[in-house]
Amino acid sequence: MIDIRRRVFEKGLKVAVVAIPGLRSVSAVLAMEAGQFFEPVGRPGVARLTAQALLRGTQVRDAAAWSDALDGLGASARLDVGSHAAVFAGQCLADDLGAFLELIAETVVTPALANEGLEFVRAQALADLEEAKKDTRSVADKTWRELAYPPGHPFRTRSIGDEDVVRTASLAEIREHHHAAIRPGGSVLVLAGGLDPDRAFALSERAFGAWAARDRPARTLAPLRLDRVQRRAVIVPDKTQSDVVLGWLGLPRTDPRFTKAQVTNMVFAADTFASRAGQVVRDQLGLAYYVFSTISGTASQGPWTVRMGVNPENVERAIAVIFAELKKIRDGEIADDDLALARDKLVGELEVGRESPGGVAAMVLDAELFRLGDDHLERYPREIRAVTKDDIVAIASELLSMDRYALAIAGPELPPAS
Amino acid sequence: MERPNVLGIPEQIAFNDVPATRRLDSGLVIHALEARHAPVVSLWVWYHVGGRNEVPGTTGMSHFLEHMLFKGTPAHPKGDLDRLLARYGAQWNAFTNEDVTCYFETVPRDRYVIALELEADRMRNALIAAEEVEAERTVIVSEREGLENDPSFLLGESLQAVAFDRHPYGQGVIGSKSDIRLMTRDGLYAHYRTHYAPNNAYVVVVGDDRADTLLEQAATAFAMVGREPVVASPLSPEPPQMGEKRLVVRRAGGALPIVQLGFHTVAASDRRAAALSALAVALAGGGGGDSASGRSSRLYRALVEKELATDVDASFGLTKDPYLFTLEATMRPGVAHQAVEEALLHELARLADAPIDDAEFARVRRGLLASVAFPSDTITWRAYRLGSLLSSGAAPSIGAWYDALAGVTPADVRDAARDTFVERSRTVGHFIPEESGAA
Repeated sequence: MIDIRRRVFEKGLKVAVVAIPGLRSVSAVLAMEAGQFFEPVGRPGVARLTAQALLRGTQVRDAAAWSDALDGLGASARLDVGSHAAVFAGQCLADDLGAFLELIAETVVTPALANEGLEFVRAQALADLEEAKKDTRSVADKTWRELAYPPGHPFRTRSIGDEDVVRTASLAEIREHHHAAIRPGGSVLVLAGGLDPDRAFALSERAFGAWAARDRPARTLAPLRLDRVQRRAVIVPDKTQSDVVLGWLGLPRTDPRFTKAQVTNMVFAADTFASRAGQVVRDQLGLAYYVFSTISGTASQGPWTVRMGVNPENVERAIAVIFAELKKIRDGEIADDDLALARDKLVGELEVGRESPGGVAAMVLDAELFRLGDDHLERYPREIRAVTKDDIVAIASELLSMDRYALAIAGPELPPAS
Repeated sequence: MERPNVLGIPEQIAFNDVPATRRLDSGLVIHALEARHAPVVSLWVWYHVGGRNEVPGTTGMSHFLEHMLFKGTPAHPKGDLDRLLARYGAQWNAFTNEDVTCYFETVPRDRYVIALELEADRMRNALIAAEEVEAERTVIVSEREGLENDPSFLLGESLQAVAFDRHPYGQGVIGSKSDIRLMTRDGLYAHYRTHYAPNNAYVVVVGDDRADTLLEQAATAFAMVGREPVVASPLSPEPPQMGEKRLVVRRAGGALPIVQLGFHTVAASDRRAAALSALAVALAGGGGGDSASGRSSRLYRALVEKELATDVDASFGLTKDPYLFTLEATMRPGVAHQAVEEALLHELARLADAPIDDAEFARVRRGLLASVAFPSDTITWRAYRLGSLLSSGAAPSIGAWYDALAGVTPADVRDAARDTFVERSRTVGHFIPEESGAA
């Protein structure tokens, strides 16, 4: 059992601490509700630009001095924007935790957000966007989102954003987003590793105590429903493999059916070797090197997608096989052992995940960020074990439609349909 | 030797990691370490066979064979191993590189004996059925085709081939598509029977039990696997390179130009290996991509900050034989290859000309040592790190490697740069993206 100690600071930052005796490092994860879901409507890319701009210097030192300080600790760190949160994640030596937290706090609480920094990250983002145009996985993902989500929806675009928005975002817009979204309320700091909990709380308070509370209106999105098959193949020249994304709209992380959906996902396609789709597509037929599915955990209906890399000659067959396996699940043709394996794997991963401070922090973060309850990690294995075949049939029937889905293919030209 | 303890780590938890080691009568060597912070055990079996053991016509054979070891034995038919390990929530996989093929699984502590039984079984009993070879062939072609979609892979593979005239390191690991397509079941089986034997392998186990207990359990599991005659593969040493080599890869399937440099360098067992590792950190840090760390490195400052490149990397790999010190810059759109190449060479020359100053060296050293310390807090990575040091001959333990890194001086880094970054042992590769349809 993971022993989590929690505190909520006065301004709203929630801190969860796990001491793992014997380790020399600490994994620190600060998740702020500043991901795509909270991005300004119609301005995809602003969240990531803002996050990247935070790393271009603070009000007390420029970007070079900040990098010198971070590298001087030997710490690892990155700041990524996901569908729900902007996440600052890193690892430092236990004795450096205070200095490491101060550096993180400097970037999020008192960033410089100057023109020079914005122009630097804008140029980097535009280069990344250019590169993504020739990357089959990126093209397939982008295309799938455009098929699955309506204009204006925060998940219609990849987190890197829309090229026009990246080109035109102003410094005022970036500052406004920082003011609105980078806030202690709703943010969670998880620390796991070789630490003393009381000292960790004190260091966190010292680093983030001045982070001013700010309110913002709650964002809600109307429920969506795919109403037909949406399919598009995009030719990316001079490639040898096609990347395929087949998917549906998932469930909010807080939906009480989410655990059932996770077990359904595992039975269906989550794991290349343990799930039905991978067993047939890769192991029996040799059609793909990778095939897996993910269900996104966010505040709204994130993507629930199957992804695979397939030779163009085999694309249609691989897709047909995926649907054949899905149909079996929807029809209740689920072997007892497949269900048992899915449940065992998800429960077992909780135990094996404890081998690293980063693994522990990730488990704790999921529960804290989505307010799943202080006893979530205790309940979760029981909830997984309680999922039945009927539950899976119900979830697959309701959410994994055979005639309402989005399908994107990116790569060489496909052979004519036979 | 008194350990430098540069990171200020309490000695009782710092790299107390000299493994318990035993050589069985079969020749199998087992190394075990205790790690008590989570109820798991990570088991790694390393075979001394990889790209180096192949010749034109059989390139990719070791990697192909790696896939086939998941296709069943008489005791554990196909699917058994996958499903058993999945059921435990295990983290498991395998990889092949130029020197070794390695299989691992991190499992809950009470499943360790079963993991041992699976590994001992497939050491000699893999079926490698003809029909499974055919099914897996297309999977491996698919793996290769996925790599071919990446311009960095395409350029790197070509650069590796050009840099080596004789040594099989020039062939890479995954193999040519034509060799993969022609690989026979009998050829694979012969490769298996030749190289998969206890006296051509070693085991590393790290986990939640006493080291001697972990070791004893492993010795028991592998006791029934007997010694085999192992034939050493003939290997051509690489003759000295006599001048710069250059290559260009043009494809429409990439948007951003790339410059890669490769310099012939030393093996992991060379006394300069630690300094070369420090040199890689000085050049590019340990971050890369969108990482916030590593931005104080020489190449980030000179190329990314100066808007010549979007990303930079420098790498010194720990290999049995002398390999390449490689550098890569993914370029900003509109920048000329020549400008980036010159900027790279300028930075290499600066490092070769003068020792880095104390403040910069302190950062490099800290990053270098943290790169040993952090992964050691993850049981799987601690086992991998120990195994990779052993496989390459870099060090007998993580602590010994830490000591070697901690002993590096600024002058050592300068000398390593001076010895390595010379024109005559340099290979330069340019990836030039072409317009659609031009290829």
